[in-house]
Amino acid sequence: MTRFEYDDSDVVVVVGSGAGGGTVANELCQRGFRTVVLEAGPHLTGPDYHQDEWPAFAQMAWGDTRTTSGSWQVATDFPNLPAWLVKAVGGTTTHWAGACPRFKAHEFTARSTYGDVDGASLLDWPIALSELEPYYDKAEIKMGVTHRHGRPPLPANNNYKVFANGAEKLGYRYYSTGPYATNAEPYDGRPATLQDGFNFQGDKHGSKWSTLVAELPKAEKTGNLDLRPESHVAQIEHDAAGRATGVLYIDRNGTLRRQRAAVVVVAGNSIETPRLLLLSGSAQHPDGLANSSGQVGRNYMRHTTGTVWGQFDKPVRMWRGETMAGVIADESRLDTDRGFVGGYYMETISLGPAFLAKFIAPGRWGSHISDLLDGYRNTAGMWIVGEDMPRADNRITLSGDVTDQHGLPVANVHFDDHPNDVAMRTHGQRQGASVYKAVGAHKTIETPPYPSTHNLGTCRMSQRPRDGVVDRFGRAHDVPNLFVADGSVFTTGAAANPTLTIVALATRQAEYIATELAKTL
Amino acid sequence: MGSSLLSAQDRQTLVNVVYAAFPHSTFPRGPYERAADAVIAEAGNDPRFLAQLLQGLVDLDAQRDAPFAELDAETAGAVLRGADGAPFLTSIVNSAVVTLYSDPEVWDLLGYEGPSYDRGGYVDRGFDDLDWLPDPKIEFEEEVPAS
Ligand SMILES: Cc1cc2nc3c(=O)[nH]c(=O)nc-3n(C[C@H](O)[C@H](O)[C@H](O)COP(=O)(O)OP(=O)(O)OC[C@H]3O[C@@H](n4cnc5c(N)ncnc54)[C@H](O)[C@@H]3O)c2cc1C
Repeated sequence: MTRFEYDDSDVVVVVGSGAGGGTVANELCQRGFRTVVLEAGPHLTGPDYHQDEWPAFAQMAWGDTRTTSGSWQVATDFPNLPAWLVKAVGGTTTHWAGACPRFKAHEFTARSTYGDVDGASLLDWPIALSELEPYYDKAEIKMGVTHRHGRPPLPANNNYKVFANGAEKLGYRYYSTGPYATNAEPYDGRPATLQDGFNFQGDKHGSKWSTLVAELPKAEKTGNLDLRPESHVAQIEHDAAGRATGVLYIDRNGTLRRQRAAVVVVAGNSIETPRLLLLSGSAQHPDGLANSSGQVGRNYMRHTTGTVWGQFDKPVRMWRGETMAGVIADESRLDTDRGFVGGYYMETISLGPAFLAKFIAPGRWGSHISDLLDGYRNTAGMWIVGEDMPRADNRITLSGDVTDQHGLPVANVHFDDHPNDVAMRTHGQRQGASVYKAVGAHKTIETPPYPSTHNLGTCRMSQRPRDGVVDRFGRAHDVPNLFVADGSVFTTGAAANPTLTIVALATRQAEYIATELAKTL
Repeated sequence: MGSSLLSAQDRQTLVNVVYAAFPHSTFPRGPYERAADAVIAEAGNDPRFLAQLLQGLVDLDAQRDAPFAELDAETAGAVLRGADGAPFLTSIVNSAVVTLYSDPEVWDLLGYEGPSYDRGGYVDRGFDDLDWLPDPKIEFEEEVPAS
């Protein structure tokens, strides 16, 4: 266990150990940089996990209070649970499924491609797909993504068989078990999947890529990683010259500590990252650190989502096997003639009875619900995930009256669906139902969005400092040694599940930090 | 555990409320009793909820000539729908939807197999045993052409 001194001002401090933070930390450790990772959650591993939905959720999900506002249905259904995120070493990569599509070229130029969409704050990314491609390759190799770089595909599970046959009948062409960051065969010192079906509860077997089982152990081996779980960062400090000097955090005993740093990388996810910047206001940064643009916390995106269930006369047993190893990509194409801009994917999904009963029609009860559960064995499921429109007023702010256990104001998540999101969801759910009807579903059920699992955009990348919070490398426009490494840097959301892109960007950022830091040290 | 203010009769009424909220004709009474007991345990830690619950059960009994626990399933369902949105009922439903469908006996009745890791997952136990549809292609084809 490596430990660096609190007043060692040469270390890099990384806040959060999820997809972004865990990746940056490993990449820096590999290059010889001493790195302190401060993670708010505990260090749990495979044997700790529960294969039981509610206990697993209670064990790992971020349960500290958050508040919600806006017209989105989540604010009504789950007023204090706007997002499903994990608070533990490994962050939400412990609960993620593993679907890994890449962005398409036009999705980096959303503003130019879609034009001026009313009520949206679209902006082109300051980088192009071609610049990210080498890092997509690196990320896929790192994560062992199936179908790529010689990794074999995952086999068809039962849920996929229904989904894929429906897709074929409907005339879709681009369906497959999809690029997916879980081993179909042993890879990178980790075993092949047992198809045990508990992706969303933490993978006991370690065949799914996460920063917990892949990046952090590798970083640890270098001797350059000082990983401190149960360490909640409360503030980022800066000097008179405007450089970050370190962070203040609350350790596991409730003691406030100061860790000095040469560079601070924030990767707390798109709700906690802007919250931390807003909490770090000072005389020099009255509206929050790195917020001269007023963009910190704005343009919060969550992807346009929805779920479709199909019930059949024969058994499906969707819970067996890799939860999201199935994708239909046809609707992700660029085609603005469908009544909305942006595209979407359909991906297989499965919930156990406990989550299905809770989420299928939140707050509803009666025979309508119990009849659906009676058909559980014969149910297939898919999730719709598509590009949503950024809006300036969809944003994370600090609550005026609610504080967490440390006395810090909690994040309020405000979201209003854009009409484009509604049109896309309607289209997606109709197409999804058609997929199942094509293979004989006697009933299809549409479920509204869950608490957000994809949280994006609240510290967006921009060419011009006035349009966003960070530059093309994720460096804060206002603070030269402050970086953001998580999904908050997304300028727009694209249709793809975000994690592969977060890992690619974080890998590229670490390379940049290493080069820059080598000049100054 | 529960409160001395809740009688055995109250508990039976509560069991029937949970049944009326999530009626499965194939389920025995056991899972509903366990879900009701979880509600009682919650109420034991929350005086406001307990007070609402005590009043709510009295109110349900007053809706028809017979007490709630003696109503046939259809009438009980109608009475409960009439109370939809009442805080005591919302709390009961929010608790029961979790407990009832996390109950291993219920899993069994629904055909769900529960934890699988200790049994080696499903890699050799039927993750792909669906046989009423042909085996689909799984290969990934690169680009979706822009239209
Ligand atoms: C059920 C589920 C399924 C998913 N499936 C997929 C999928 O198939 N494909 C895909 O691409 N994505 C998927 N995702 C999303 C994916 O998990 C996230 O995109 C990704 O983990 C985000 O990475 P991040 O670095 O932004 O944040 P996270 O991974 O959430 O990590 C943030 C970390 O920072 C810590 N933290 C926050 N604030 C502080 C603080 N102040 N001090 C210290 N630590 C702090 C948190 O505790 C957390 O550990 C899924 C998510 C869920 C919940």
